[in-house]
Amino acid sequence: MPINYYITLALCLFAIGVVGVLTRRNAIIVFMCIELMLNSVNLLLVAFSKMHHLAKGAAATAGTDGQLFVFFIMVVAAAEVSVGLAIIVMMYRNVHSININFLNRLKH
Amino acid sequence: MNITQLLFWLLTVIAIGSALMIVTSKNPVYSVLGLIVTFFAISGHYILMNAQFLAIVNIIVYAGAIMVLFLFVIMLMNLSRATETLKNKWLQIVGAIAGSCLFLVLIAALKNTEIKKNLVEMGTGDIGLVKSLGRELFTTFVVPFEISSVLFLSAMIGAVVIGKKE
Amino acid sequence: MNAVLLSGLLGVVMMFASFLFRTKAPVRILAILGMAVLLVANVLDTKGIHFFHVNTTGFLSFTGYALFFNTIVIACTLIFFLISSKDMQKVGNHYAEYFALIFFILTGIFLVTAFTNLLILFIGIEIISIPLYILTGSAKKDLKSNEAALKYFLMGAFSTGVMLMGIALIYGATGTFDITKMNIAGLLKSNLLTAGMLMLLFSMCFKVSIAPFHFWTPDVYDGAPNVFTSFMATIVKVGIFVGFLHLFYTAFDAIALQWKIWMAVLAALTLLVGNITAVFQQSVKRMLAYSSISQAGFMLFALVAMNETAHEGLLLYAIAYCLATIGVFGIISKMTDYSFDGFNGLAGHQPLVALCVAIFMLSLAGIPLSAGFLAKFYMLKAVIQAGGYMWLVIFGVLMAAVSAYYYFRVIQAMYFKEGPNHFSGISAFEKCVLVGICVLIVFTGLFPNIIFGWMYF
Repeated sequence: MPINYYITLALCLFAIGVVGVLTRRNAIIVFMCIELMLNSVNLLLVAFSKMHHLAKGAAATAGTDGQLFVFFIMVVAAAEVSVGLAIIVMMYRNVHSININFLNRLKH
Repeated sequence: MNITQLLFWLLTVIAIGSALMIVTSKNPVYSVLGLIVTFFAISGHYILMNAQFLAIVNIIVYAGAIMVLFLFVIMLMNLSRATETLKNKWLQIVGAIAGSCLFLVLIAALKNTEIKKNLVEMGTGDIGLVKSLGRELFTTFVVPFEISSVLFLSAMIGAVVIGKKE
Repeated sequence: MNAVLLSGLLGVVMMFASFLFRTKAPVRILAILGMAVLLVANVLDTKGIHFFHVNTTGFLSFTGYALFFNTIVIACTLIFFLISSKDMQKVGNHYAEYFALIFFILTGIFLVTAFTNLLILFIGIEIISIPLYILTGSAKKDLKSNEAALKYFLMGAFSTGVMLMGIALIYGATGTFDITKMNIAGLLKSNLLTAGMLMLLFSMCFKVSIAPFHFWTPDVYDGAPNVFTSFMATIVKVGIFVGFLHLFYTAFDAIALQWKIWMAVLAALTLLVGNITAVFQQSVKRMLAYSSISQAGFMLFALVAMNETAHEGLLLYAIAYCLATIGVFGIISKMTDYSFDGFNGLAGHQPLVALCVAIFMLSLAGIPLSAGFLAKFYMLKAVIQAGGYMWLVIFGVLMAAVSAYYYFRVIQAMYFKEGPNHFSGISAFEKCVLVGICVLIVFTGLFPNIIFGWMYF
């Protein structure tokens, strides 16, 4: 497959994630849209890594760095999710809502 | 159109359709299900590119662990009903337009990129197998691998500091 | 490498300290001692004595500049511990864990200043961000703190997503994550590279609160507990700034034409937004949040100039800005009312504290003989040397004059107004630390050459 298809697909998923972040008011759904953005990046990185592997056919390890970067993104996402959901649960305990429209107490 | 291309288009349609479902559905549980389907579709793409290790890790870590955590939290808060207030319709329209503009600008910029004809290796090549990735991870990439343990330690402390009841 | 490994280990030690010690005092002493050890280890590293011999396989390279900057960061954190560690007890029950998180954040800062691979930049920024989300939300009963944490978290995660997309596009164009091997000069017309670089630029701007990506800053700084605001507005911000400078200086210098004008416009916009909104604030804490935005605008001058002077200027700016802001926040966290009216008549009740606040404010405003003046001077000089951005220099001077208004408002409230005492008391030791910070500020302002002498010995 030409790389163009993968770039378009990844950007499409990324844009859907961005739209979700901008339009939804539910903190958990916003967070899920961010996860979607990370996944589109992962897909793009894997496609690029296979592209570079094909282009530099001689070197056996060409392109592994792209796939390992994806591995590290997953590592970081897992850590981020645990902290993020803890913050959302703490918020819910105090105000019984996770609607981010309520996030305006900070503005005097 | 051979079988690889057929699968590519099928998986692409599934991925985009379920991604749209995350954004549009009123019920958060449906959103979670949409995200899980998207993860499976992306894993399918990884398998098409012979990135087997990442395909499995994607399912185990994302669809398995992370999404279950999301579902737990949603069930815990009893959010399965549609509770979201649609207060500001304009904000949503503006958000949607902004997102589409971003997409169009990026596509327009990257449409004629110098590598657009480059091919992606499908189904062959062994860089995505556990053996070659593992060897690289524990030789060249051992420094970032060890350093990411600090990240997990801080996430662990975070769960204790924030989650524990006083 | 000494500092990276030791700060990670000290973080683990602090985790265990929470159940080894029942009282708070030993935990605090352990943290301060640990920071002192870290300082010594890093200075030894600068002198060429390495405790650990790690083959970093081309992921990290500790230049003299990075090591010297790390020394500044550690010294500032030590001062921060000395003046504010008692106030951390008020935040919540997990006293030792807060120290552990701060040690982990330092690990992240050391990585961000010394990376040679975008992977390390990404992991380093996440090691900084994730503990910060936690520290922001650490006052669990306080709704403002909760909301600040949620807001910071969602926006931080979003900007991480943008940053990763940028890195992915750069990888697509160059085929490597190593910023020294990118061969940017051969890719001048690459759309992929330009798009990726801009996304990386915007997300880094978000992390250091450059306008128009600053909107989270006032709310988060206002909502977070005072002590942690002090830490993240100073040490973390300058740490990420050095990484930002390193990234663009090493990787994207060849395509400077494409992004320099962006930097200049962003710097001007940041100065404008930060200073104008700071004028209208009623609370000193919120005023400092906006002033930190405008100071970030001045620090961005280093990225416009991109020369030797800019590197030196950023170091001086880090010293001047961190010391003064840590000092002011150390005092604010001992006040019961931190609006401008709360400072009324402070000179009558606490003459020494008021004098220190006055010196900090003068340094932040950039009055001659203070470190702040010299830092601003170096930044302007760097841009003049780089040439072509005279309008930015003039605008910067103008905005520095505007900023004097709101800093002097605090001094005016302390010395020329009467009011009840809102100050809850300060120990003799903390007074000594405050005086020490003032001496350091004036000393740096008078003899900057001594600092640079240390740097290039």
